[in-house]
Amino acid sequence: MNRNLLEVKKVNAGYGFLQILRDVSFNVLEGEFVALLGPNGSGKTTTLRTITGLIRPTGGTINFEGQSIGGCKTNEITRRGISFISEDSNLFLAMSVHENLLLGAHSTGTKSQVAGWLESVFDLFPGLRDRRTQLAGTLSGGQRKMLGIGRGLMSKPRLLLVDEPSLGLAPNLIPQVFAALRSLNQSGLAILLVEQNVKTTLQIAKRGYVLEQGYIALQGASTDLLETAYVQKSYLGK
Amino acid sequence: MDLQALWGLLLTGLMRGSVYALMAVGLSLIFGVMNVPQFAHGEFYMLGAYVAYFTFHKFGLNPLLTIIVAALSGFLAGALMEKAVLFPLHRRQKEQWVMNTFLLTVGISFVMQNGAQALWGSNYLGITHYWQGSIQLTKDMAIPFDRAISFIIAIVAILAFWLFLGRTRMGRAIRAAAQDETGAMLVGIDLDRVRTLTFALGAMLAAIAGASLLSMNPAHPTMGREPLYKSWVVVIVGGLGNIGAAIPAGFLVGMLETLTSYFLGASWQNVVSLSIIIVILLFKPNGIFASEVKGIWER
Repeated sequence: MNRNLLEVKKVNAGYGFLQILRDVSFNVLEGEFVALLGPNGSGKTTTLRTITGLIRPTGGTINFEGQSIGGCKTNEITRRGISFISEDSNLFLAMSVHENLLLGAHSTGTKSQVAGWLESVFDLFPGLRDRRTQLAGTLSGGQRKMLGIGRGLMSKPRLLLVDEPSLGLAPNLIPQVFAALRSLNQSGLAILLVEQNVKTTLQIAKRGYVLEQGYIALQGASTDLLETAYVQKSYLGK
Repeated sequence: MDLQALWGLLLTGLMRGSVYALMAVGLSLIFGVMNVPQFAHGEFYMLGAYVAYFTFHKFGLNPLLTIIVAALSGFLAGALMEKAVLFPLHRRQKEQWVMNTFLLTVGISFVMQNGAQALWGSNYLGITHYWQGSIQLTKDMAIPFDRAISFIIAIVAILAFWLFLGRTRMGRAIRAAAQDETGAMLVGIDLDRVRTLTFALGAMLAAIAGASLLSMNPAHPTMGREPLYKSWVVVIVGGLGNIGAAIPAGFLVGMLETLTSYFLGASWQNVVSLSIIIVILLFKPNGIFASEVKGIWER
């Protein structure tokens, strides 16, 4: 069976006195596609920010590939193989597409390796190839999202955390982003996806967790989750 | 006024401007990347001058090596100040950061001035020249070699720094950190390292300026004040935190002062340049070269 890649155990975290995550536990196996669902303000983004060290957990443990990463600095966590595609991608808007991608490989890779990775990002998102000299700030919302994912791939992660990739996208672009995530997963990359778009997400993810006010309220295989009365009622309006 | 005098004025303005640009680039870099209004910048200029004085006059090192030694001391002193003072503050308290670091750097500038006075006295420690001779421009106008070479050093230092920011992995990381700190951390950039390096590089540029002008401005404890104010003027004219803009703005202010002191007398140069700055800021409050996107040199 697949080994545990990410293991989050009884994690507590928040901002100042405001506690958001309460004893959150879940795991992602190697090469697995896992969804993290829940209403606005339930702590999905906070979970991702805690895993990547942008917020320090106040309790619990986070293990990646068997080693504790709780309390590590963000750049260290990225170097170990976790890439976080934040909601607004945190692109370097005044730099070119090419430089943004090069920065993705800041802490790893020789020159020729980086050139090869660049090519594979351009193969995944051909639209970026023609725009490599364009400034990131001049890209459309969809292109920015793709650049964000592309930049995240440049550090050669083994786990990709993706926050709301469909947010603010034109509806006709959403399938393209999901298709890219699916093909990345098929090539062996583990993905933890946070999404509002519950139906599509549960169609491509194998398992899912539902966060509710900072607790894990529900968990299980995607097909089972889709059938639960909770998801049917809260998300699919049935 | 004949053509030759005008030519002379132009050269003087360029030379003065090159030093302003060199100082202002460092100041702008530090503000753009770290959000620190560095008010001890002049003290690194002062430090550069003192180090150059001792290495050149006392130990008789060759002039270029002297300036390199001064540059390295500026770099080390800058790194030390960041690690010892700014880094611990950044760890503990990020609120009111600009105000806190303003007060902190002003305080450090006093400590450094008085430290210099305690260590080396309040006398002017100068040298007559690094390189003997001068370039005869017109019948009654000559530029000392030192002035010309300090101009070349300033230009080379600015160019080298520009290439470093544009072409190297670390330079790119510094620009990235100025644009989006979270994004920089997420791609694996160690922000603590970038901040120390940024501060040290800025200090190094100021030390180069102080060292290369030693024969014109002898070392003394409060020599850094004037260049500090001048570089703030340049940075404000160009647009806070925009390195690319600090260079033309440096030359602009240098040229302006030269013209004023030629036509109205040296005592007017600050009055006129500061008045023009007030006018510029009235109409372009973000500086002449203000850009839409936050970045330290990108347009």
